[in-house]
Amino acid sequence: MSNFEKIGDGYSLDLTLDEAQILINLVEQLLELLGEGDFFHHYDSSDPLAQLLAMPSEIVTPDDPVLLRLLPNGYADPEAASDFRRYTEPQLRGAKQKNLRLVREQLTVLVDENLGGVIEGLDSDVWLKAMNDLRIALSIRLEINEDSFETFELLPDEDPQKPVYAVYFWLGWLQENLLGLLL
Amino acid sequence: MVDTLAKEEVNISELIDRPWITIVWDDPVNLMNYVTHVLIKLFGFSKEKAHDLMMQIHTQGRAVVSTGTREEMERDVQRLHEHGLWATLQRDDKI
Repeated sequence: MSNFEKIGDGYSLDLTLDEAQILINLVEQLLELLGEGDFFHHYDSSDPLAQLLAMPSEIVTPDDPVLLRLLPNGYADPEAASDFRRYTEPQLRGAKQKNLRLVREQLTVLVDENLGGVIEGLDSDVWLKAMNDLRIALSIRLEINEDSFETFELLPDEDPQKPVYAVYFWLGWLQENLLGLLL
Repeated sequence: MVDTLAKEEVNISELIDRPWITIVWDDPVNLMNYVTHVLIKLFGFSKEKAHDLMMQIHTQGRAVVSTGTREEMERDVQRLHEHGLWATLQRDDKI
């Protein structure tokens, strides 16, 4: 069973090759959904012209329910929400992409060597946020609610959604495992 | 008596100057321990206070986690969104 461990000041995660591949696959799907384009780095620039040029002409409320949950409205009022989104969404999107990229980078080392093993020197904050975003994304697709564990257990093994539920609950278990070391 | 009055005055002036609140909403996905962890990390709450707020979110569907100026609350909402919590800000309607 994969799990996190605390080693000195950092954390490590023990994964099989299959588990690492499942995680990489999910991370890449979410990165694709968030947009892999790296225009957002202009927002970090101190050059006001770069910031201005990087500002997309229109940032609208996402249609995709996963994106709407990951990049939610900050206000109930639509006009205030839209203004808030225009100024904050690129940074929020960029922060989420950055966490996912870091996680992918660390997972890639395992997968490239074609074996499982221990990833060392994990940033607990980055991993918690990335795992949480992955769980949120899966939860929207699976329409997770308070009774979902029962739903999952009652699904026949051949149901195509069963393995997706399994990954969702496994990620929750992993996240809980890391939190247990922090709290 | 004097103490009580003085305290009330401070509270009233705080409410007038700081009429915005950040609300965290319940969702069926975020782990209870994760919500507690994020509240401690972002707001410096004690473990007990963060746990109480998390339970309030879970049982009542929402909780006010911070109060301040509009700009401060926008920053808090942004930081909560970065951690995947579902948060909004609004003017405190108790006034």
